[in-house]
Amino acid sequence: MATTQTNYSQKLFKVVHPLDDQPEEKCRAEGIGPLLMTRGVRISLMVLRAYLTAMTLMLIYHVLDLSGILGK
Amino acid sequence: MIRFEAITAPDATAPSKGVVVRRSWQRQLLTFLMVAGPGLIVMEADNDAGAVSTYMQAGAEYGLRLLWIMLVLLPITYFVQEMVARLGIATGQGHAAMIYKRFGKWWGRFSLIDLLFVNFLTLITEFAAMSLAMSKMGISPRIGVPCAAVGLMVLVITGSYLRWERTVIVLCLIDVVWLVLAFMAHPAWGTVVYNTVVPGFPPGRIDANLVFMVIAMVGTTIAPWQLFFQQSCVAEKRLRFSDLKWARLDTLFGAIFTVVVAGAMIIVGDYGLRHGLHFEDPAQLAMALAPVAGNLFRNAILLLMINAAVLGTTAISLASAWAYGEVQGWPHSLHKKLWEAPGFYAVYLLCVLAAAAIVLIPGVPLQLVIVSVQVFAGLMLPSAIVFLQLLLNDRALLGDEWVNKHWNNRVNWTIIAVLFALSLLLAIQVFFPRLFG
Repeated sequence: MATTQTNYSQKLFKVVHPLDDQPEEKCRAEGIGPLLMTRGVRISLMVLRAYLTAMTLMLIYHVLDLSGILGK
Repeated sequence: MIRFEAITAPDATAPSKGVVVRRSWQRQLLTFLMVAGPGLIVMEADNDAGAVSTYMQAGAEYGLRLLWIMLVLLPITYFVQEMVARLGIATGQGHAAMIYKRFGKWWGRFSLIDLLFVNFLTLITEFAAMSLAMSKMGISPRIGVPCAAVGLMVLVITGSYLRWERTVIVLCLIDVVWLVLAFMAHPAWGTVVYNTVVPGFPPGRIDANLVFMVIAMVGTTIAPWQLFFQQSCVAEKRLRFSDLKWARLDTLFGAIFTVVVAGAMIIVGDYGLRHGLHFEDPAQLAMALAPVAGNLFRNAILLLMINAAVLGTTAISLASAWAYGEVQGWPHSLHKKLWEAPGFYAVYLLCVLAAAAIVLIPGVPLQLVIVSVQVFAGLMLPSAIVFLQLLLNDRALLGDEWVNKHWNNRVNWTIIAVLFALSLLLAIQVFFPRLFG
């Protein structure tokens, strides 16, 4: 944040560190309701679920394989 | 968004602290220096012990041929972290908190638990690297590792974010020594430049090992904890909307610095290859290079390994502590004293102490830890990055000014698709190694 002054002859700038500056209003999640489930959001979360399911199944297979339960 | 005020007649709400300068360029430089930190730290801390090992291995196996990958990764890592910085500035909150608030408890808990788990496993590898480098320097890990853990704890409990930030920036800048080592290695600079700008693979060596080296380099450069860390760090530093352009510059500078340092590590690995040296880890290479390059070279590599592990440890532990504190609603700030934010500091201290203690247990299965890091990072990164992308398209939260532009989305969805594919490929390789011969 910069502060400036024109005092007839000279322009001065005051630079304030973020930690020393006034707090500013931020974008708040409170009071705006849940995330809007647009088609894009729904598809993204569906793909993510499919990916995580595939990874989990591979992990289970790998553990069973290592333990010898699959008979190899 | 710049606010102008008269110095001679400040209003009651004007901040009393500040530095007065005469010229516009001085104001811009000073503002940048005040804002810079999170971007550089998140990028350079990612050159942690695992990264040192991966990049040096890449140089030792394929010479300078894979340098171009770092150039490709530069814009990718910048685009991802720029989104994080923008979201942190716009909301003033961390990534874990935003996932909880916008996607609900299930996704929030999944992200948090996965993050804590993969971070903890990564911490074990950081301390393992410290232990290895210390033992090669003749320092007993039983003394050196606890000392490092205590130092890492003291670093955060001073109640000053700025003290922590300045110390960590100094540690980041120590990595400039990698560039000195790269010069000392006397590579053919023409070849370095050629391999950096012209993509290609070693002829006749395109096999599974090469594919997974490429995946490892990508995975090392973009890690899940980075998303959580930088957003929390930006919130902690209370960056303002007007700071965004400087935060972007900080992130870009951090990305360039990190990629250049990573390139230097590849050159040092290539130095070993040119001398016919084979090694399993960077400490071994350092020892093998001593007769060729001297003890200074050896000690520099070992000290830089420790530095990389220390940087990684403090950033990753903080990412965990911030995320857990945000979700629990605890006070979670380095501005607070130990007794003012006991839960936040407890998570940090617990992460550091437990990881250090595990490394000191004889016969700990480090290979299993490394494989687990790969698996859980593979789970974590695509999900964290999808949430990031969706949050940056949340118009209800961010308004029109801060959401992604169309070109942002096109670039980011491409990056996400590539990361998904690479993570899946890595997981398949870990789970079914026989498939790849």
